[in-house]
Amino acid sequence: MHRKKLRDKKNVDRALYPLYQLGNPQLRIFRPKWSLTLVRPGKEQPPDTVQFRIPMVMTKCDLKGYLEKIYNVPVGTIRTRIQFGSNKKRNHLNQRVKQPDFKVAYVQLAQGHTFTFPDIFPEKDGTPAEGSMEEMQEKFIEDEKQRQKSDPRRGGVTEWFGL
Amino acid sequence: MLGSVGGFTVKMAASSSAGRALTLCKQFQNVLRISTAVNAQHCAANVTRYQNHVYRGTSPLIAPSWCSSPLSSAGQCRALHTTVSVRGLEEFFDLPENWGESRVKSGAPWTAKHLRTKSNEDLHKLWYVLLKEKNMLLTLEQEARRQRVQMPSPERLRKVERSIIRLETVVTERETALRLLQTGQEKARPGDWRRNIFGHVFWYRFKEYACPWYMNKRYKRKRFYTPNFVQPHLRLRIEKYLRERAKKANLEKKTQAKLREKFPQMKISSS
Repeated sequence: MHRKKLRDKKNVDRALYPLYQLGNPQLRIFRPKWSLTLVRPGKEQPPDTVQFRIPMVMTKCDLKGYLEKIYNVPVGTIRTRIQFGSNKKRNHLNQRVKQPDFKVAYVQLAQGHTFTFPDIFPEKDGTPAEGSMEEMQEKFIEDEKQRQKSDPRRGGVTEWFGL
Repeated sequence: MLGSVGGFTVKMAASSSAGRALTLCKQFQNVLRISTAVNAQHCAANVTRYQNHVYRGTSPLIAPSWCSSPLSSAGQCRALHTTVSVRGLEEFFDLPENWGESRVKSGAPWTAKHLRTKSNEDLHKLWYVLLKEKNMLLTLEQEARRQRVQMPSPERLRKVERSIIRLETVVTERETALRLLQTGQEKARPGDWRRNIFGHVFWYRFKEYACPWYMNKRYKRKRFYTPNFVQPHLRLRIEKYLRERAKKANLEKKTQAKLREKFPQMKISSS
């Protein structure tokens, strides 16, 4: 399943932020284009630590402002590192395929808050709601299967044999 | 039902802090579900974008009728709420009743036409709503990959991305219009027509540097001029282009002549 390229992305990606030099006023960004991903930590982290994947161009200060202003989360310290995406795998043409690099941020929450990554995919029984489309579809599939089944009095013998 | 959409925009708090985008309460969603007007379908398609968002936050500008909703609508209570946990980070996840579902319903993406009808404040708030939704979907996608489970309704992510792009185009349109009126400049970022080493003329957009260009070694390596030994190649390229153009014109003429020979009563195609 191929995804159509979003050709007009240049509007969002092309925004340049002004250069910062010592003494410049604080940079204020309206409508930030950066999106974060909250990830489950691979290694055990302290209870107040939240792990994010952030775009490479974001800094600790940016992330702090982002979380405080947009999500109203009290942020303590932030530590970042850049994860190198492997360039080792090869495709069917023996060309090396690069997995993208990403920046990981470990955010420690202030004011004694804690966070545990929840279980987002709990087991749910698949009975669909009454009168819904899913229920009708399942019923239809069941009826079709019933019709396809051969006569049970034949005892599992295929239609190839017989009259 | 246009009134309900208008009411939605009015109810949005005028606070400027980015994280306070007001979203629909459950009562409002119920009202919309009952309605059967044609317009409501269109509005609801956009409004269901917000149906994943629960009213949260403690903005003081809420009308009193809304204050009771987060307490009364027990279904919207956060499952992972402990005494000291942070409600802000829950916005990275979907509503708890959608966890574990195989499919989550979502409305149509915002169109540029519809976005142009909205005011600047609404667009500003919508930007943050879409951003938060995108973050939520990205976390969901990553977690699904981690748990080796299919992400429910991945088309939501593409819808949100498209909406963000369209919002950006609408905002830039408005900004260019304003800039043209105020200063007469078409482009926000200054630039210039320059020639690169291959002889192509292109629009070079200026970038901000900390030192002047004659002190910038990396910039001087770029060479915005065509050396003399490239001239023959330029000429060859021009000849190739002219040859192709002539070929196309000839082909067109020949096909037209053939068709007219076969079908003499054919009208001349204007293409």
